[in-house]
Amino acid sequence: MSAEEAQRASPEALLAAAERETRGKLRIFLGAAPGVGKTYAMLSAARAAKVAGGDIVIGLVETHGRAETEALVEGFEVLPRRGIAYRGRLVPEFDLEAALRRRPRLLLVDEYAHSNVEGSRHPKRWQDVQELLAAGIDVWTTLNIQHVESLNDVVQRITGVRVRETVPDTALQKADEVILVDLPSDELIRRLADGKVYVEDTATRAVQSFFKPSNLTALRELALRQVAARVDSDLVERMQGSAIGGPWAAGERLLVCVGPDVAAERVVREAKRLADLLDATWFAVTVERPGRILPARERQRLDAGMRLAESLGAETHSLVAADIPTELLRFARFENVTQIVIGKARRGWLRPFRTSLSDALVERADGVSIHVITADSPETSRRGWPSLPPVGPAAGYAVAALCVAAATLIGLALTQLVALPNVSMLYLLAVLVPAIRHGVWPAIFGSALSFLAYNFFFIDPVNTFTVARPHELLALVIFLIIAVLISAIAGRAREQTRMAALRTRATRRLYEFTRKLSALPDAPSVAEATAAEIQGALGRSCVILLAGTQGGELGVAAAWPPEDRLDTASMTAARWAFDHGEAAGAGTGTLPSAPWFFLPLAGAGGRIGVVGVERMPGGAALDSEGEAVLETLSDQAAAALVRARLSTEVVSARTAAETERVRNILLASISHDFRTPLASILGAATSLIDYGGDIPEAERRDLLNQMREEAEHLDIMVRNLLSMTRLEAGALDLRRDWIDVVEMLNRAVSTARKRGAPQRFAVTPAPDLPLIFADQSLMDQVLGNIVGNAVRYAGPGARIVLSATVIDAQMVIAVTDDGPGIPPETLPHVFEKFVRAAREAGDGGNGSGLGLAIAKGIVEAHGGTVAARSPAPGQPRGTRIAIRLPLDTPPAMEERER
Amino acid sequence: MSILRVLVIDDEPAIHRFMGPALTANGYETLRADNGADGLALAATRQPDVIVLDLGLPDMDGKEVIRRLRTWSDVPVVVLSARDREIEKIEALDLGADDFVNKPFGMGELMARLRAALRHHIQSKGETPVLKIGEVEIDVPRHRVMRGGEEVKLTRKEFDLIAFLARHAGKVVTHRQILKEVWGPAHEHDTQYLRVYIGQLRAKLEADPANPALVITEPGVGYRTGD
Repeated sequence: MSAEEAQRASPEALLAAAERETRGKLRIFLGAAPGVGKTYAMLSAARAAKVAGGDIVIGLVETHGRAETEALVEGFEVLPRRGIAYRGRLVPEFDLEAALRRRPRLLLVDEYAHSNVEGSRHPKRWQDVQELLAAGIDVWTTLNIQHVESLNDVVQRITGVRVRETVPDTALQKADEVILVDLPSDELIRRLADGKVYVEDTATRAVQSFFKPSNLTALRELALRQVAARVDSDLVERMQGSAIGGPWAAGERLLVCVGPDVAAERVVREAKRLADLLDATWFAVTVERPGRILPARERQRLDAGMRLAESLGAETHSLVAADIPTELLRFARFENVTQIVIGKARRGWLRPFRTSLSDALVERADGVSIHVITADSPETSRRGWPSLPPVGPAAGYAVAALCVAAATLIGLALTQLVALPNVSMLYLLAVLVPAIRHGVWPAIFGSALSFLAYNFFFIDPVNTFTVARPHELLALVIFLIIAVLISAIAGRAREQTRMAALRTRATRRLYEFTRKLSALPDAPSVAEATAAEIQGALGRSCVILLAGTQGGELGVAAAWPPEDRLDTASMTAARWAFDHGEAAGAGTGTLPSAPWFFLPLAGAGGRIGVVGVERMPGGAALDSEGEAVLETLSDQAAAALVRARLSTEVVSARTAAETERVRNILLASISHDFRTPLASILGAATSLIDYGGDIPEAERRDLLNQMREEAEHLDIMVRNLLSMTRLEAGALDLRRDWIDVVEMLNRAVSTARKRGAPQRFAVTPAPDLPLIFADQSLMDQVLGNIVGNAVRYAGPGARIVLSATVIDAQMVIAVTDDGPGIPPETLPHVFEKFVRAAREAGDGGNGSGLGLAIAKGIVEAHGGTVAARSPAPGQPRGTRIAIRLPLDTPPAMEERER
Repeated sequence: MSILRVLVIDDEPAIHRFMGPALTANGYETLRADNGADGLALAATRQPDVIVLDLGLPDMDGKEVIRRLRTWSDVPVVVLSARDREIEKIEALDLGADDFVNKPFGMGELMARLRAALRHHIQSKGETPVLKIGEVEIDVPRHRVMRGGEEVKLTRKEFDLIAFLARHAGKVVTHRQILKEVWGPAHEHDTQYLRVYIGQLRAKLEADPANPALVITEPGVGYRTGD
């Protein structure tokens, strides 16, 4: 691919942007669950937009009788619903036809995922919305995350509730804006308890299981991720649209199938290598069969594979289909994939197929090359041991022992008083306490102690460990089994509660962190925030090293607590981690003597740096939980860093393009605008030289006058160009002085008259105007340009009024004419460079289109503003250009005489 | 009266090319110098009545020419300068130049300036107690101002101001020069005084205050007294 091609904007991105121009814009208010306040948020935003002035109509809003929501609807035009006969009753539905007829600028349509009743034009509401968008109507709508098709399965897995109404992912992706409406889980539960959440046709039990804190946390996380992913893809699209160099390949497109087997990561890396060789865009895809839940270990491997692919620059997709090869090929065709990479696996997700997936693909893929990567190690998916909970501190065992002792004493005391048939119950109680408070191992220890104590103190022969009667031995064994089971169950419950609490905390933290990052403007501030966050989360010093933009050396970008350099051993470890894309330093197999543990930061498009965490004094590495936290945070940071870098690049590329554009227009403008007067001068002069004798006196004078006028005009243009250059270079130094505005207005009029303006002028200043503190000759230029503009475009019969008055401590100087005015489509651009009223307005190429741009630049340099209105206020036509300048208080005069 | 002699100091041949014939047509004798050193030599040897000086010269700064010239001559100097170089113009005027013309300029404008400078120069040789600008007569010893035969009441400062301007008729005076002279050196930068008093003077003396003919503002530089 040549360099030029690399810089050209991708046609897909431009097409998508072009399509979006004419289509209406879709904004989705996305929530994690019902009741977070999406409709409320949408209506509030609409109210704000309405205040700003906008043709906003409510197509359909479900208030569910909530008073505060209903209050928001008031004042809006609401389309009446259409009754559709269904099973003998009228169902009020959204009236698409009426909406299309009404054609508002913006239409609010609640509940994007709604299924229309039979007999409607479309089966689904999102299809209605698509039609509205196609008709050029902007639409705002609401959506819960569980209604997104691809997440449907995940949601069911999390909540156990099957959502029937779904929206295809494309319908979400096509949204121009997605706004996350978020509410903390516990608040949502409180709202639910207060009856503020409306959930339609769902059984109460389902609702209860749905609105569990753990579910809500997971759903929030899903919604958050969805929105975060959109931010990234938006940026990439903009980059492609702006033709910024990057790994945006065309031509070959490669797809790698990621499975839950051990070879997944190797296959992904192999695919990445191939994609690099081919300079290809690549996708990582996993296909899951509906309803199948992967064992945790396989899920982890699959996730790791996909994460790796994503970090290596692949576009990742999770598909759900019963027939894996068909789905893969369908996706491949849809994305124009030319190469498929797949691992040769024998187990796991391919089990249901007689032929292997690779064979099936080879057999059926026409025109697509298939690469089968063979596993090089005999290690297949070895079944791992389920991880065991930690042994725990000694305190738990002491508690267990104490409980057993207490149970024994109580048991002995009770048997003295009453004949207790089942002392074993007491021991079960004694086991339960450590199980709940200290976990599995202390509880099992307690069970063993209880077993011994029960045997010793209560089973005949008492005070021995022997058991006389066989049925008592049986009872004893059963007791032991029950005790151990209780320990395990209670211990696990405790473990789960702890994990859920941790997860909630982590999610909240992650959410806040992501939100913080998204607000930061550049890479250094992202690095700083990340270092502080990681230090806060892990309680250890953190350092972020970033590579220079052009693959430069690693350097410390941020550290918490602040630090600006690392010792040589640490730098070596950091560099190794960066170069190899693996962890290094303390607690790893590479350079473990370094005092830091380094993890590479990888975003789409490659590694960008490393994050380092200081070793504890004891030399302990991070525990697995800490490592997970670190990984999550650095993932977010990497994405934000890439985003920050990209946006910097976008800005600089845009600036460069803008400079280039201005230079081109300037050249074109100069060559045209300067040649026209020059041609007149040259023509008039040569006429006089060659035919002067034959030209009557009056016409000779006219030619000479023409030469003079054109030369004067050239002078003005040169002056404007000079000012423009100075303004743009920031080299305009104001020589401020106290200026009499009335005098300035009069001077502008007499200058215009001197230049031959035929219009009638009037100067109407308010009485007793204060002086303004400004650069006199620049302000003369401003006024001269504005008046000149009026002279040029208002027509010879027009009346031009120059007025000055003080409004709100500002000097308002206005030039108003009663000419034809400025066309509405030009009005917003009159102060831009090289914009001028249409040539056919008799302009004849006069003016370089710089006059008003310079006026604006100069006024703004004075801290003022300038605005154009057409038709002029209070007039049926004409133009009014008003300058507003801040007033300064002139220094007091000592001896004012009258 | 003998033929008046104009010295044009400019390094642009094109300027000399059109100025020579135009000046001759207006009855002047023209001397041409292409740099500052030649200009100063010609000014000393040929005694011109008025000098037209371009401030951008190849061998020395035009302001330097004025500074040296003013050590031994009070010949009127009209300076040629680009429109946007107010500071340069102010410096030249403060050094003793009489007037300026913005480049590019029309010949008619330059001729008018030359005439005014010459007239003022001849007038100021003999000190007259009564100064005149247009219809306004200023009787300095009696502290009286007459317009069209009628006395106009002016405050003391107004009178000082109009008298100062009248004394420098045909010249451009900078803000600093006026303020220093009329209000004293402590008020050299208080241009707001000038705006207010000039406004008052115009209201009292001008036939049409909106289009002043007696006291004309030179934006960013100072004031010129009309003739």
